[in-house]
Amino acid sequence: MTDVPAPEGAGATSASGRRGGLRDRHLKYLLVLPAVGVVVATAIWPLVDSLVLSFRFWKLSKSHVPGPFVGLENYLWALTEEPAFWNAVWVTGIYTVLTVGLTTLLALGVALLLAPGGRLRLTVRTLLILPFAMSPALVGVSFRFMFNPEFGLFDAFFGILLPPLADIGWLSDPVLAFAVCVMADVWGWVPFMTLVLIGGLAAVPSDSVEAAQVDGASSWRVFRDITLPQLFPVVMVVVILKSIFSLKTFDQIYMLTNGGPGTATQTLAHYAYFNGFKYYDMGFAASVAWLMVIPMIALTFAYTRFVFRDRPA
Amino acid sequence: MASISLRSLTKRWGGFVAVDDQSLEIHDREFLVLLGPSGCGKTTTMRMIAGLEEPTAGEVWIGGRLVNDELPKDRDVAMVFQNYGLYPHMTVRGNIAYPLKVRGVRSTAEIDERVRAAAAKVQLEELLDRRPRALSGGQRQRVALARAIVRTPQVFLMDEPLSNLDAKLRVSMRAELKHLSHELRITTVYVTHDQIEAMTLADRVAVMNHGRIQQLGTPEEIYDDPKTLFVAGFIGSPAMNLVEGELDHGRFLAAGTVIAEVGGGTRSGVVLGARPEDLAISEPGTGSFDAEVYASELTGESVLVTVEISGRRIAAKADRQTRRAIGETVGIRVDPARTYLFDTASGDRLAR
Repeated sequence: MTDVPAPEGAGATSASGRRGGLRDRHLKYLLVLPAVGVVVATAIWPLVDSLVLSFRFWKLSKSHVPGPFVGLENYLWALTEEPAFWNAVWVTGIYTVLTVGLTTLLALGVALLLAPGGRLRLTVRTLLILPFAMSPALVGVSFRFMFNPEFGLFDAFFGILLPPLADIGWLSDPVLAFAVCVMADVWGWVPFMTLVLIGGLAAVPSDSVEAAQVDGASSWRVFRDITLPQLFPVVMVVVILKSIFSLKTFDQIYMLTNGGPGTATQTLAHYAYFNGFKYYDMGFAASVAWLMVIPMIALTFAYTRFVFRDRPA
Repeated sequence: MASISLRSLTKRWGGFVAVDDQSLEIHDREFLVLLGPSGCGKTTTMRMIAGLEEPTAGEVWIGGRLVNDELPKDRDVAMVFQNYGLYPHMTVRGNIAYPLKVRGVRSTAEIDERVRAAAAKVQLEELLDRRPRALSGGQRQRVALARAIVRTPQVFLMDEPLSNLDAKLRVSMRAELKHLSHELRITTVYVTHDQIEAMTLADRVAVMNHGRIQQLGTPEEIYDDPKTLFVAGFIGSPAMNLVEGELDHGRFLAAGTVIAEVGGGTRSGVVLGARPEDLAISEPGTGSFDAEVYASELTGESVLVTVEISGRRIAAKADRQTRRAIGETVGIRVDPARTYLFDTASGDRLAR
C-alpha cells in the first residue's frame, strides 16, 4: 500500500499496545466489579426492590411472598386516608425546621468563639467534638435515661433547682417529649457543624476583616457585612446537609421516645418503619419511604449544586 | 491630620520580642517610612498604631490622644494592606463606599459623589461595578487606595502596598503614591522592605532591625551618613562594600590593602565601608590597591565591576563605557573622604 515500509518494531509495538490496551480495559472493569457488586447488592437492588414493592400489596403477616400489583393505591392511601401519615409529615417538618435552625445558629455561635482568634482554645475544641463521636441511637438512650422521672439526671437536677419541675414527665408530655428529641438532636449535631463552620471561617481572609475594623465597622457590622457573606456558601452547605439528616431521623427517635407519647414524635422514617415491621404492611411502608425520598432528592440536588458549582476564579 | 507618638512601645509573643521598647515621633503631615528586613517589627509597629495588635507595653498617641484602649474603628486611621484586604463579595463601588457607610454617611448622593472622587484620583472610574476578583493586581491596589482616601482620616497606614505588584507596575504606582501623598498631605506611615520605595517616598525613614529603630532620618541622611553597620549594609543597591581590618595611625589595613588617610587613629576590629559608586576603576598600580576582575556587568546606565582581592569581593560602579575582561588586573581608587568606619563588635559608626 505504501512505498515506505513501516519500521517493523513500530507496527509490532502498536499492535501489541492495542492488544494490551484491550486487555487493560477488560481488566479494569474486572477489578471494579466486586465493588460494583457490593453496591448493587446492598444499595441499588434494595432501592429498586422497595420501589417495586411500593406498588404492590404485601402483608408480611399473611404471606411471605409479595402480593399483587395495586398501582398507586399505597401512595393514595397514605396521602388521602391516613391522618397518621400527615401527622408524621407535620412532625418531621417541624422537627427539621427546629433542628436545622437551632443547630445552624448554635454551631455558628460556637464556631465564632472557637475560630482562629476566637476566645476558646484548642482543648475546648477537642472536648466539644465528642458528642459527634456518639451514635445517634446511643444519644437517644442516654437522653431517655437522663429524662427518666425516677432516676434521671435532669430530673434530679431540676428537682434541686426548681422543685416544681421535679415531677414533670418529660417524655410523657407530647410537647416536652418533642422538645427533648429536638434538644438531643441539636446536642449531637452542633459540634460537627461547628467544625465545618470553623473551616469556613478559616477560609475568610483575615485582612478583609481587619480592613473592615480599620474602616470603622463595629464587631457586629464586621460579622454582618464581611464575615457572614463570605461564609454564606458554607452556611448553606450546613443547612442543606442538616436538613437531609433531620428529614431521615430514625434511630435517635426510636431509642428516645419510640415515636411517642402517642404519635407526638413520630417522624416519617419512624412511621415507615412502624408500618413495615410492626404492622407488616410492607407495600405501604415502601410507599411512605419513597414519599420521603422526594424532598431528599430536592435537597441533595441543591447540595451538589452548592458544593460542586463552578466558582469563578 | 495628626501627629503620632509611640512611647516605649513593646510587643512580645511569649519569648519573641517583635518590637522592643521603641519610641518614635511622627510629625503632622509627615510621610514616614518604616524600613527593614522581614521580621524586624515594622509591620507589628504599624498594626499597633492601627489597633489591630495590642502593645505588650508602651503607649500609642494619635493627634494628642492616647489610643491604647481604643478599637481600630475609633482611631480614625485608614489602612492599605499588603494583600489589599478588599471585600471580595462587594463591587469596587461597594468597597470604596464601605468606610463611609459604616461611619454613618447616610446620603446616597454624597456617598456616590465621594466614591466617584476617590475613584477618579486613582483612575478607577471605569471599573466601579466590577468585583475585586475581576481586577488585576494593580487595579486591586488602586481600589484599596481609593477606599483609604475616600474619607479624610487622621492617618494613613500602608503595609507594603506595592510588594505584590510586578516590578514595572511597582515603579509607576510608586510615582502615583508620591503624587497622591503630596496632594493629600495626610500623616502617613508606610512599611516596606524595599529601600528604593523608602528613599523615593519618605520625608523621613526609620530603619528597623530586631524590633528597634537603628536610625531615623531623611533619606539623604540615611544614605550619606549611616550610623550603624546594619544601616550601611541595608541601604544602597548594589550594597556598600564592607571590609574588615584594622587602623594604624589613620591608615586602614586589610589583607592586601592599605588605604591612607581614612582617619580614626589606631585600633583593631574595624569595618571599612565604601559605596560602589565612590570607588573608581583605574590602571593597575595607580589606585589604592590592585585586584583581579571577578565579573563585569553592564546594567544599562553603568557597569558594575566586581573585583576579588584576598578572597573578598568588592563592587565598583563604573561609567557605561567601561569594558574590563574577567581575570584582568585593575586598580581600585578609594576616595578616603567617602569611606565609613564602623566598630566590628558593636556595629557603631566610628569618628574619624
